[in-house]
Amino acid sequence: MTKVLVPTVCPYCGAGCGFFISVEKERATGIEYMPDHPVSEGALCSKGNAALEVLCHQERFTSPLKRKGEGWARISWEEAIDLVAKGLGDAIKKNGPGSIAFLASSKCSNEENYLIEKLARLLGSPHVDNCARLCHAPSVVGLNRTLGAAGMTNPIPDIASSKCVFIIGSNLAENHPVISRWIHRAKDEGAVVIAADPRVTHTSWMADVFLQLKPGTDVALLNGMAHVIIKEGLVDRDYIAQRTRGFEELKESVGDYTPEKVAEITGVPAGDIVRAARAYAISPASSILYSMGITQHTTGTDNVQAVSDLALICGHLGKPGTGVMPLRGQNNVQGACDMGALAEFYPGYKKADDSETIRYFSSAWRTEGLPLGPGLTATQMIDAAGTGDIKGMYVVGEDPANSDPCSHNVHSALDNLDFLVVQDIFMTATAQLADVVLPGAVWAEKEGSYTNTERRVQWSCRAIDPPGAALSDLEIVCKVARSLGLDFYYPDAASVLAEINRTVPQYAGITRERLERDGLVWPCPTVDHPGTPILHSSGFKLAEGRACIVHVPYRPAAEVASWDYPFILTTGRVAVHHNAGSMTRRSPSLISREPDLYVEINTADAARLKVADGDEVTITTPRGETEAYARLTDKVKRGVVFMPFHFPGTNILTTDITDPEARIPEFKVAACKISRRD
Amino acid sequence: MPVYIDISRCIGCRSCEVACQRVHGGSGHVNVHFVGDSASVPILCHHCEEASCTMACFSGALYKDGDKTVFDVEKCTGCGLCRLACPFGVVWTDKIAHKCDLCEGLAEVPTCVTTCPANALSTDFDLASRRARARAARVAAQGGRR
Amino acid sequence: MIKVDASLCLGCHSCSNVCPSQNIVRTETGVTRSIHWKRCKEECDLCVELCPAKALTLVPFDESVPEPEVCFYLVACKICGSRYATEPMLKRIESVIPANLQKDSEGLDWIRVCPVCRRTIEAERATRQMVLGRSRKSP
Repeated sequence: MTKVLVPTVCPYCGAGCGFFISVEKERATGIEYMPDHPVSEGALCSKGNAALEVLCHQERFTSPLKRKGEGWARISWEEAIDLVAKGLGDAIKKNGPGSIAFLASSKCSNEENYLIEKLARLLGSPHVDNCARLCHAPSVVGLNRTLGAAGMTNPIPDIASSKCVFIIGSNLAENHPVISRWIHRAKDEGAVVIAADPRVTHTSWMADVFLQLKPGTDVALLNGMAHVIIKEGLVDRDYIAQRTRGFEELKESVGDYTPEKVAEITGVPAGDIVRAARAYAISPASSILYSMGITQHTTGTDNVQAVSDLALICGHLGKPGTGVMPLRGQNNVQGACDMGALAEFYPGYKKADDSETIRYFSSAWRTEGLPLGPGLTATQMIDAAGTGDIKGMYVVGEDPANSDPCSHNVHSALDNLDFLVVQDIFMTATAQLADVVLPGAVWAEKEGSYTNTERRVQWSCRAIDPPGAALSDLEIVCKVARSLGLDFYYPDAASVLAEINRTVPQYAGITRERLERDGLVWPCPTVDHPGTPILHSSGFKLAEGRACIVHVPYRPAAEVASWDYPFILTTGRVAVHHNAGSMTRRSPSLISREPDLYVEINTADAARLKVADGDEVTITTPRGETEAYARLTDKVKRGVVFMPFHFPGTNILTTDITDPEARIPEFKVAACKISRRD
Repeated sequence: MPVYIDISRCIGCRSCEVACQRVHGGSGHVNVHFVGDSASVPILCHHCEEASCTMACFSGALYKDGDKTVFDVEKCTGCGLCRLACPFGVVWTDKIAHKCDLCEGLAEVPTCVTTCPANALSTDFDLASRRARARAARVAAQGGRR
Repeated sequence: MIKVDASLCLGCHSCSNVCPSQNIVRTETGVTRSIHWKRCKEECDLCVELCPAKALTLVPFDESVPEPEVCFYLVACKICGSRYATEPMLKRIESVIPANLQKDSEGLDWIRVCPVCRRTIEAERATRQMVLGRSRKSP
């Protein structure tokens, strides 16, 4: 019996670990590690090790479905595609192309995302977005403004050469476990690790200095650190003079963020703020790692700008071991953004509201009448569906009914649509509301390129066939596009990548032939370019080549604890689950390790509420209520509670107030009350 | 030749548990334990020099082979004595006994060692002791144990 | 059929596990474990051979002899109280392991502790330094 080893990229987080799937007789029989992988070195976390469990899962879609009364009827592909073409076509005919919206998927490959946004725009709709809106939209907006490029500035293995690693708002030990091996390597070489988080996390275990701040006070903390650095003269004067603008304004605006004042706002002792600031500024090479704890706030964009300010005034950019590193949560959320599946960008971050962009793509795609953006964001689409401005939606591999905040509202908004088509692998909460369901494929059942959080584009090969009549998402999108009269003839993913090489300058040199082994890191402008692991080593892609230091005042979160809602609820992930959980909650070895929704409550608060460990409690916010098991702990401070968002209950509670620029909802702060269920 | 654990590196992701279970057909030989809110550690067979499980095994299924404690499934009757004789509770019996086999015949390096995202596990004694010494030096440099 | 010397039987799983015709039935109630040997005509002596205590003998089939059954109370774990083994099994362990290994480095008589608690104790000891160090960092 012959065993073939097929190289693939893990479908879970953004670290982009590689592994081989061993295939015998057309069946995936096991995982083999990849010890020479540049990021993971053969390692895989619990999710990666359980990845094959979703492949042949009994609940997978095996044929297209249409709604029939309260249930579902299995239909043929011809009928399904006809229904989709009619559903979307009718909406366009009646209300214009602006009445349909598309959600692309950060689980799908670059090629698929490129085709989905191209489909939307060729149909004339500017409304295409992906779930980056719910994780790193502020990084895209904020970093484009301050540094001129959105993405990790340095590669993951580079962390090992850092002398100070500052982790803020990221529980990477649970969410991107393989990154911790590089942090440990830095520690072995004497690096100082600083962690800032409202909870004691597995990440804070690694820290030498731990700053346990109140949720939503990140700007105050970062301004406080900038204050100390400037006051003690630890800034990099030459770097500021040669590479940046806006320092004087920052200096003035952080003038009154004294450690004592910041301590009062954040709850972090003033001495620790000073220690952290000195350690970050003095070290020869410091890096900042952040993720959702920074972005998922109404002040998300401010937070991101404050983070890059810190790096800029200390000159910790453009060299090995330095950098600003937004850690992305999904295997291809970076790629989905690069491919222009974003309301405000065409492929390659070309601004959608710029007529030059429209000219460029009109000639590249040989078409006319491309819509000028920006379109509606993922969160705005849902609102527009609720008000009836959006009539039809095409959702690929996303579960907004579960992952968006204030999920009761999302349900009724999606219900209000005339036509909803969902392309997915499992019956998610969103698919439940669909008119037509199209069965897609998971990573191992199709080929394509994926861009990990460090901008490394890697090719993942097809190991097995999709179950039943399911098809690769690329084939499905092409079928739908052709039925709507578009010229979508792509025989395989490589032919789409060839078009991406022509239209996306950052990917120009990333051809299929070059994507063997380690992949390539964009920007890679020509076919003989080696890729660019470290950004900004020779200036910034902004006016005069200078980065912008943007001073940001501290604004409190939208919701604060009150008499009625005395606790602050913050949300996050656990190691064995991923996002809305449609895959991990169906993986036996993962769900058995974390089977139920729980809420972490400080032991002192619990005593006052007369709640014991394991009790069932009700958590209530103005949006709704959820039941969960209480977990008593001192990981959270008094007045703060934590819930993982992998279970349907959590986002019933969260608020849909968004950041004014990036439109990201404030998942991380919601005022709530808790009572024991009797 | 046991698997050495650097507890300072363990991040409690339970990857070793899932991986061990995966390669051993559903029955894993590692348990990750969480202690309070501040540490986690995988508990698995130490391959003791004086292995009490082998002393309790009457059928010769568990025996020492050099520095490994190995298990011969053919000889096991599933009596359960080894489970009771292990001071660390890392020999299990469901029908027959199972314990860490260092992935012999399954992989060159134990699966948990390769898969550990944080590099907390190794089979290299020198590396393990070097790390322990470095950590001690670090504690001393930061002003000792206080 | 099988004759049992109840004074030698450990109450282990061996005979019931190896019997090819499921003639030996083990029943656990949570507090007790009983083992019941059905009258069998087979000339098989696998259980006899594989009994760790040599408590079994193969005797000629005799319908008048009642089917043997032994019953043991299970011993409770010193720490969590869960019942995890029979007294003769623990005695057997105590007889085969050298005395210096029967108490661990902190003087605990670990044989009287259930395997689950043994793992917990091992985890707590292994991480003691780490927990102390980390709790100092975040007071």
